[in-house]
Amino acid sequence: MNKSEYLTEYDGILKTIQMYIDGSKQGKSELMRPAFHPDASFFGYAGEQIAIGTQFLFNWIDNNGPAPNIEPRVVNVDIVDSIAIVRLEVAGWSGNLAGSGVSMSDLFTLLKTPNGWKIIQKAFHWHASERSVAA
Amino acid sequence: MPVRNTPQKTLESWKQIAAYLDRSERTVRRWEANEGLPVHRREHEKQDTVFAFRHEIEVWTRLRTKCSGLAANEAESLPSVNPATNAYLVEHDAITCTMHLYIAAARAGDGDLMRPAFHPSATISGYCQGVEYSGSVEHVFQWITQNGPAPNINPRFARIEIIESIAVVSLEVQRWSGKLAGANARASDVFTLLKCNGEWKITHKLFHWHDQ
Repeated sequence: MNKSEYLTEYDGILKTIQMYIDGSKQGKSELMRPAFHPDASFFGYAGEQIAIGTQFLFNWIDNNGPAPNIEPRVVNVDIVDSIAIVRLEVAGWSGNLAGSGVSMSDLFTLLKTPNGWKIIQKAFHWHASERSVAA
Repeated sequence: MPVRNTPQKTLESWKQIAAYLDRSERTVRRWEANEGLPVHRREHEKQDTVFAFRHEIEVWTRLRTKCSGLAANEAESLPSVNPATNAYLVEHDAITCTMHLYIAAARAGDGDLMRPAFHPSATISGYCQGVEYSGSVEHVFQWITQNGPAPNINPRFARIEIIESIAVVSLEVQRWSGKLAGANARASDVFTLLKCNGEWKITHKLFHWHDQ
């Protein structure tokens, strides 16, 4: 992959991740659904409970509602031909379910399809807020 | 200061590995082929030489004991590294240990051997000869078994990234062979792992087969 090809793929990947960010910010799963592959999976721990499946994620986003102050940072993008990894750090989560001032680390893997780059898996780690750790 | 570069941290032959584990060379070779004993190879023109890291062998021993259900708390009692100063290394070792189960099973051509490395709900996705594929991890196990032995695979950990309970591993594998892989094929894999009840399990395998 030469530099210009790499940048084209990079832009395509970031466009897909932006849909996830927009859906998170507005609390509307419909905005992020097109970013996900139909066979996408979702894994992580929500407290002590393991959460599996994109439906869990979409329900959570809708029930959490708007999180207008999230600060998303794409800290790493790694592309190998048709597959890619994106590490996203999101601080400032808020909402009905998130509470306030918590942060989340996400590892997305993406697959390049005829319809563009699609998220095939989201793995997340939820960082408890400092207050709840101290409590 | 954590002790990181102690002398003798590697075992430089089958003989040394066998002595370290107090078993015969034949047994440790079998453990490598069938049970994921983490043994590395250096390529030379005529014949590859093997070596192993003591800390990897210890993690493997620990997890193997744990997997056998003999001592559920073994993993907490054994580590000689200080988790406060070397927490990253402990997780890194545990992750490569899980990955070596995958590698050993791929080499042996026995899909069932890699089952313990995966979460039961794990899935796979990727392209094989231009066709997009996604589905249950059961297909990986079947493929590995149908492919048969691939004794010369040359796996490299291109990247390991750990964030608390989640991790990604980029594995580059050259010299794939077998009934389905053909000869001298190359694959790039990205594994996502989740730490479940203290054990790292693969939740997703994303692959790209490179055109030859």
